[in-house]
Amino acid sequence: MVAAKKTKKTHESINNRLALVMKSGKYTLGYKTVLKSLRTNKGKLIIIANNCPPLRKSEIEYYAMLSKVGVHHYNGNNVDLGTACGKYFRVCCLSIIEPGDSDIIKSLPGDN
Amino acid sequence: MVKFLKPNKAVIVLQGRYAGRKAVIVKSFDDGTRERAYGHCLVAGVKKYPSKVIRKDSAKKTAKKSRVKCFIKLVNYQHLMPTRYTLDVDLKDVVTVDALQTKDKKVAACKATKERFEERFKTGKNRWFFTKLRF
Repeated sequence: MVAAKKTKKTHESINNRLALVMKSGKYTLGYKTVLKSLRTNKGKLIIIANNCPPLRKSEIEYYAMLSKVGVHHYNGNNVDLGTACGKYFRVCCLSIIEPGDSDIIKSLPGDN
Repeated sequence: MVKFLKPNKAVIVLQGRYAGRKAVIVKSFDDGTRERAYGHCLVAGVKKYPSKVIRKDSAKKTAKKSRVKCFIKLVNYQHLMPTRYTLDVDLKDVVTVDALQTKDKKVAACKATKERFEERFKTGKNRWFFTKLRF
C-alpha cells in the first residue's frame, strides 16, 4: 500500500520533469533516433514505455549499458508517455539530450 | 555517454550479405565522409567460421578445420549491433579504405587479415568471436 502511494507521487513528479524538459530542453522521440543518440553519445537519459516490445527494450538497454547512460522504465504505456510529452501521438521510447532547466537526469537514474 | 563504436570493438553485422556475421571495427568515421554522409565504419569480419576441431583430428585435419575466411567492408552504424566484446588484433596497417578501391588490393588485405585472425583463433583467445552466431 505504501509503495503504491509512493509511486503515484513520484510518477507525477516524473511527468512534471518531463514536461519541463519538453519545454526547455532537447530530446528526441522514437526508437530510431534514440539509437542514433546513443551511438553518438548525445543521449543522457532514455525513457522507455512499459508496453515496448521486449526485444526492442533489451536492445535499447544494451546500447545504454555500452554507453553508460541511464534508462528509466516509464510507468505507463506508449500512449501515456506520448501524453506526458505533450504530444498527440504514441511515444514508445525517448532520449533526453539536454535537460534544460529540469533536474530529471540528476533525480532519476537512482531508481531506474 | 561513453563512446563505444571504437576500433577493436566486436560487432555483429545486421544487414546485407554478411548479416549475422561477427566483425571487428578497424576504423570508424563518426561524422561520415564526402561519399558517405552518415556515420559508418570499416570492419573486418569472419565470412566463414572455423569448424569444430576434435581431439581425434590429425594435424592436417586440424589445420584444414581452423581456416577462417574474412571480409572487409564499410558498414553504416545502423546496420551493426555493437557487443560488449573486443578483439585486440592490430589490423590498422592492413585494412584501410584504400584497400577497398581495387579488387587485388582487397584480396591482399583479406589474405593478411585472414592470417591474423587464424593465429588469434589458434591461441584459443576470443573464442566468442570465432563461434558462429546461432539464430
